[in-house]
Amino acid sequence: MMRIAVKGIGVTGGFGCGVADLAAALKGGISRVSEITVPSAQGPLQMPAFRAETERLDEFVPKRALRRIDHYSKMGLLGAYLALADGGMLGSDLSRLGVVVASGYGATATTFAFLDSIIGDGDICASPTHFANSVHNSAAANISIMLGAKGPSLTVSQFDMSVPSALVSASQWLAEGRVDAVLFGAIDEVSDLIGYLQHRQRGPQRACPISPLSTGEESSIIGEGAAFLLLTRKDDSLAYCTIETVDTGSLYQEELSFPDDALLLLGADGRRELGARYRATVPGHSRVACYTSIYGSMPAAAAFDLAAAALILQNGRVYPIPGAAGCDMDGIPVPLETTRICALKLAGINEYAAVTLSRLQLP
Amino acid sequence: MDIKNKLKKILVEDLNLEELTPEQIDDNAPLFGEGLGLDSLDAVELVVLVQKHFGIEIKDMEEGRTAFQSVNALAAYIEGRLAQ
Amino acid sequence: MTHPWPIAITGLGCICAAGTNLDDCMETLYSGRRAPAAPTRFTSSHPTRYPVFEVSGFNEPPELLRTSALGLHAVRDALADAGLDLETLRGLRVGVCVGTTVGSAMNNEQFCRDYRAGLDPDLEPIERIMRSNPAAVIAREFGLTGPCQTVVNACASGTDAVGLAASWIRGGVCDVAIAGGADELGRITYNGFISLMITDDSPCKPFDRNRKGLNLGEGAAMLVLESEETRTKRRSRARSYLLGYGSACDAHHLTAPKPDGEGLRYAIAEAFSCCGISAEAVSFVNAHGTGTPDNDRVESLVLADLLPGVPFLSTKGYTGHTLGAAGAIEAVFTIACLERGMIPGSAGFSTPDPDLGGTPVEGSTKVEGMVALSESLAFGGNNSVILLGTRGAA
Repeated sequence: MMRIAVKGIGVTGGFGCGVADLAAALKGGISRVSEITVPSAQGPLQMPAFRAETERLDEFVPKRALRRIDHYSKMGLLGAYLALADGGMLGSDLSRLGVVVASGYGATATTFAFLDSIIGDGDICASPTHFANSVHNSAAANISIMLGAKGPSLTVSQFDMSVPSALVSASQWLAEGRVDAVLFGAIDEVSDLIGYLQHRQRGPQRACPISPLSTGEESSIIGEGAAFLLLTRKDDSLAYCTIETVDTGSLYQEELSFPDDALLLLGADGRRELGARYRATVPGHSRVACYTSIYGSMPAAAAFDLAAAALILQNGRVYPIPGAAGCDMDGIPVPLETTRICALKLAGINEYAAVTLSRLQLP
Repeated sequence: MDIKNKLKKILVEDLNLEELTPEQIDDNAPLFGEGLGLDSLDAVELVVLVQKHFGIEIKDMEEGRTAFQSVNALAAYIEGRLAQ
Repeated sequence: MTHPWPIAITGLGCICAAGTNLDDCMETLYSGRRAPAAPTRFTSSHPTRYPVFEVSGFNEPPELLRTSALGLHAVRDALADAGLDLETLRGLRVGVCVGTTVGSAMNNEQFCRDYRAGLDPDLEPIERIMRSNPAAVIAREFGLTGPCQTVVNACASGTDAVGLAASWIRGGVCDVAIAGGADELGRITYNGFISLMITDDSPCKPFDRNRKGLNLGEGAAMLVLESEETRTKRRSRARSYLLGYGSACDAHHLTAPKPDGEGLRYAIAEAFSCCGISAEAVSFVNAHGTGTPDNDRVESLVLADLLPGVPFLSTKGYTGHTLGAAGAIEAVFTIACLERGMIPGSAGFSTPDPDLGGTPVEGSTKVEGMVALSESLAFGGNNSVILLGTRGAA
């Protein structure tokens, strides 16, 4: 695969907003867990969740332009602007820019708002605005409209595998020369539906940190946010790191193998069955890290993993695993330094993705 | 509340014209283009809002186009339909 | 590593209101038959009954969304057409790229109604969605090991899925790609499109002066794309070729196309550039042609400008607008028409509109040449175009 450079990072999530906030949260190993209230048959449920703010959009877009844009798209817009700004491309010619958005569940709050309009007032009162904004590519569309980006646009919804799947196509666009840069991002949103499903499928929520690698315990906390990367073909200019390979698919008999020198960045997020699959997949001698307790459990977390990997490779130093006690994977020590990271995403019974990223070779 | 004031409140609240108050909307200002700056998606949303708040069905945009000239025009249209 | 265009297409499958396999569909199209009717699979309290194009006689298994079941049906036909059995598939790296609009949306009305009514609804409808991701269902059913991608580019998804799959083959991401689109009819899209006031309460009339909007439809179509190495190894024949793909965003409005069709122009230009094909080589255009006033105007003006005199048609008069499946169904129809040297009349058209760039073909029309263009325009300003050719076109 042709090598890709990560030129900019734009993030908003429970830890804050912008690449500096993400770096600080990774360094300190702490993030801000909010509490949300979700309606249920048993009355209002309180549960922990990582919420993302979008106030900083005011720096980039006039308020009037946002009047019809929902929280889901706002997170995406903010991520997109921050990544462009971070990569020094804000205000540049964007005619050769592609936009790729990955989302596990799309704009679920607006999807429910549309259903509410029918349920509350009958089919004749279905809201066209909610309908238009509930279409999966609404965020990508809003990003393209606001930025005036007229290149190709793609939205992928592959549940937990949305991010690596979308990255396969984004890489090809760069390899084929269709575009000179890709604004690649992931968005997921906390809504009544996501909160309620978490409660029904995962049980009562404890107010303790995600322990992604501990055995047998359910500790996932839902999260929301947007993580965008500005990607270009590898050139001589400065970048966070390079993406070397993107491999994704389904495993039947085969076993995964990983580069010996790579730190494995695990997408485990406190979901019990997923933790078990990571433990079964990761070879015993591996060096591992995991940062989902900084941003929470959501399909878009895979893009936050890529952002975290880019930050590590930029300075060569590995952040400590937050709440290391809960993350001890059979006492495997986390290395202090690395020049290569393999971001490993597992989902379902046999889906996998491995994205290899490398530190830039300085001349 | 009379129809005009109710309409203005609906415009501000349901079409999220956050920077405006209902009182600031001119009865004769065009709703679309210049004026309030609404667009085609607002137009179809307004059709639904008129249905929801006044129980009046606007069947197609030909009908809507005349009614949606201004707050005054829309109020007159609604009064006319309610009187039928 | 990027292999050159074109990319071989070795199998086709299709199911929609016009028929449950490609041959039946083509017979329906050439006969000019169409029978949109009020929905039978769901009810609506809307005072007007808008006609839709349902797939009759097709029942999905209870564990799957209808969308994914329709997709599987089309995949089986496409694999059989390509001569790919389970054993052959197992020895290859096969990717799946499928466009949809409702196939991966967390959108179940009964669940939402019960939840809002203060009940603890059964989770099965949500779990069904979670196990029905259209691309993942296909990979699981056939034990495929390659990448899976469900493309949700609204009404351009099917065309984009085919184009993206070609770029996977070009990049060596997989040996074979199953690409297409699938979507089912339901109350959400039915009410949604009615609320946008772009739905016709009579059978749709693409490119006609009296057009009032679209009719919704449902269905799926799949194409098998194959690398040259794989084709050489297993000695498979190319039924058709994908000669180019282009896509561009209008960056204009969430629901309305840009009046000058800028994005569509870019997409067409990009598709032509892939194999260096010129407009003169195009024998016909399978237009998006939804029958909405805006879409048909923009599209016809761009065609008049870039492909003057080239015959065009919309097949949505036979299938309805099948949303995420549309681009794939139309790609398959385009290939079948090239093979037969004949395009069906553009159903629903009778009165020319002086504001449009031209008129579509009326009645079955002979076409010559080896190349045709199929295009999709979507919500969000997505424009996608593919160029398809006969075996001799490569």
